[in-house]
Amino acid sequence: MRFPYGPAALSMLVLSILSGLWLAFHPAKRPQATLVMWTFAKTHYDAYKQAIPTFEAKHPGVKVDLQLVSWQAVTSRLQAAFLSDLDVPDLVEVEISAAGSFFRGPLKDVGFLDLTDRIKQSGLYDRMVKARFAPYTSRGRIFGLPHDVHPVMLAYRRDLFEKLGINPNEIQTWDDFIRIGRKITIPGQRYMLELPDSESSRFDPLLFQRDGGYFDPQGNCIMDNEIAVQTMLFYVPLVAGPNRIASDLGGGQIFTKAVEDGYFLCMIAPDWRSKTIEVDVPKMRGKMALMPLPAVYPGGRRTSTWGGTMIGITKHCKKPDLAWELALHLYLNKEDLAQRFRDTNILPALKEAWNHPAYNEPRPYWSNQPLGKLYAELAPHVPFQYTSPFIATAKAKMSEALVSCVQYYKTYGDKGFEAFVRKRLKQSADEVRRLMRRNPY
Amino acid sequence: MSTRQPDIVITTPPVARTSRWFVLQYRMAPYLFVSPFLILFLTFGAYPILKSLLLSFYATNGPKSAVFVGLQNFTFLLSDPDFHTAVWNTAVFAFWSVFLQLPLSLGLALLLNSVWVKGREILRLAFFSPNLLGQVFVGVLFSVLFIPQYGLVNRFLHAIVGIPLDTKWLANPNLVMPALVLTSLWMYVGFNMIYFLAALQAVDKDLYEAAIVDGANAWHQFWAVTLPGIKPVAVFVLVMSTIGSFQLFELPWIMLNNSSGPDQAGLTIVMYLYQTGFVTGDLGYASAVGWTLALGVLVISLLQMRVTGAWKGGTD
Repeated sequence: MRFPYGPAALSMLVLSILSGLWLAFHPAKRPQATLVMWTFAKTHYDAYKQAIPTFEAKHPGVKVDLQLVSWQAVTSRLQAAFLSDLDVPDLVEVEISAAGSFFRGPLKDVGFLDLTDRIKQSGLYDRMVKARFAPYTSRGRIFGLPHDVHPVMLAYRRDLFEKLGINPNEIQTWDDFIRIGRKITIPGQRYMLELPDSESSRFDPLLFQRDGGYFDPQGNCIMDNEIAVQTMLFYVPLVAGPNRIASDLGGGQIFTKAVEDGYFLCMIAPDWRSKTIEVDVPKMRGKMALMPLPAVYPGGRRTSTWGGTMIGITKHCKKPDLAWELALHLYLNKEDLAQRFRDTNILPALKEAWNHPAYNEPRPYWSNQPLGKLYAELAPHVPFQYTSPFIATAKAKMSEALVSCVQYYKTYGDKGFEAFVRKRLKQSADEVRRLMRRNPY
Repeated sequence: MSTRQPDIVITTPPVARTSRWFVLQYRMAPYLFVSPFLILFLTFGAYPILKSLLLSFYATNGPKSAVFVGLQNFTFLLSDPDFHTAVWNTAVFAFWSVFLQLPLSLGLALLLNSVWVKGREILRLAFFSPNLLGQVFVGVLFSVLFIPQYGLVNRFLHAIVGIPLDTKWLANPNLVMPALVLTSLWMYVGFNMIYFLAALQAVDKDLYEAAIVDGANAWHQFWAVTLPGIKPVAVFVLVMSTIGSFQLFELPWIMLNNSSGPDQAGLTIVMYLYQTGFVTGDLGYASAVGWTLALGVLVISLLQMRVTGAWKGGTD
């Protein structure tokens, strides 16, 4: 019998039948894991890969499937997973600036388990740096366990400081820093500090240092309050105008070249970034050092915070107690945390972990300074930062305000600058408030 | 000499085989063959489109909550400064992309259609090849080329016209759009050139000969013969380039390091849609943005076709 539509159609039909039969008899293997966990940081992934076998050994029959998801994708992938109720992991690490977006809507509809009672009953609320719970708290309920503290120091080219006769111990306040910076800055060739004039990533730590922020504990937008105004008035002349002492060129290879060339002498360096600098600028081994952030006023806070990660358990998780145990295993095991600190320079949020000898080890890259001890001494002073589902929008608005203020300052200088800053910050804050008012809940 | 088109042969089932089953499968077979596409389209095309239309009338807040708000999402759009910025940026990009891209593409096509140019095949491939790379790769490539102090673009322009080495193309709100337009030109001029080249080669050579006999110079030939000859393709390229420009997302997203750039200078409508839907989690508003974009593109495309005379409800 001849097939009426010709050999091409016949072959398509045969192929589709064969492939359909193949798929029917060879179904995709269902994942065997008891718990699925997502992390977005390769350094975390590598560390957890080493830590998970001991957890599995303690819990026979339990299998943990650890997945590395790109940090750019983790937020949208998790949002999509929550929305579709498909492929939702049991545990997930979320970056601090994205965490707030998951706390939208009524508390009962938040995709993460409320961990408040577990954290308070286990005593973790007191054993960890309290300030670090704030970014993962919404309406008084805690949805994540903090992975880190991320105190901020100032990384500097020790060799160039010595060559230029700068004594870091003389730098106690930002005024000291600016005075020295103006002496050594050569426009287009050498700057005292790496600071961008087009986005607010490094404006934030300086805002937090002054106890400022984007939202108060009740979730009200405060990004145009007096602290924010004063921070902007302080920041913009650092990066714009005739007396600027700061510049930036970008990340990656250009950052490497700029540090090697001495294009800027100092960088704002939370613990995680000290590792980035080590990896990205290996030639500077032994030539770099760290000092506390200059204070706003004599005797003031010498640190701030930049970045962070939480681990949360999703409501999708069928074994929340086991997931909680895994989270504790990854975040509280002192030996693992010490090794992780050696690998990543990240100071854990668990205060008692800092007594481990690993934190006192001298680091050759940082001119043999005891990196962990330096960061740990500052960690208790890390400021609170509160979040909101609108945090990403607020940060984008702050970046816009910063750019506008920089442009104004470049054009008009000090004349009318303060009034402009107040007006511009209020405009940005009002836009955020307008979006918040749309909330029908 | 005229060539006769082959007759379309319609196979009919032999009389002996017209059993009921055979007739049924004979009638159903075409539907069976198109069913894979139809099922996929209905599942992944039509359903999401309808769902997004419904969503655009809801305020979604978190993964499970949705409250009906009627047209509120659309009315909010009208007064949303971020949406206005996104529309303005996208329109500026579309304007410059189209009005620089198309003349350049046509110019290149004319050049490479000329018999005097040696190695035309190699050059055609070279000009087309950037399009093989994809926007993500091109975005990464150009973000490196545009870096201040050490980037190739600054080094070159510093040597030629003396611009400062630390010019921040992707961190200065005034320079972001030129950087995006330049990048898209590099990527798409060669692509559109291929369309024009094909159109140029289809223009009847006899018309040129007739024009020469009538005393037409090169400009007159271009104006009176070439342009009318390639008009359908030019309109197609114009419409497709405009639609493509309004869908801009990956290029600025990669070049501006997953952000909308300084002072939102690189914020496009699709980027705003993505940020609203998947960063802020407001899928209802994002759907409203998507539908507004779709309607906007439809209106612009119809206007373009109307203005260029391509839409006359029949063939020329």
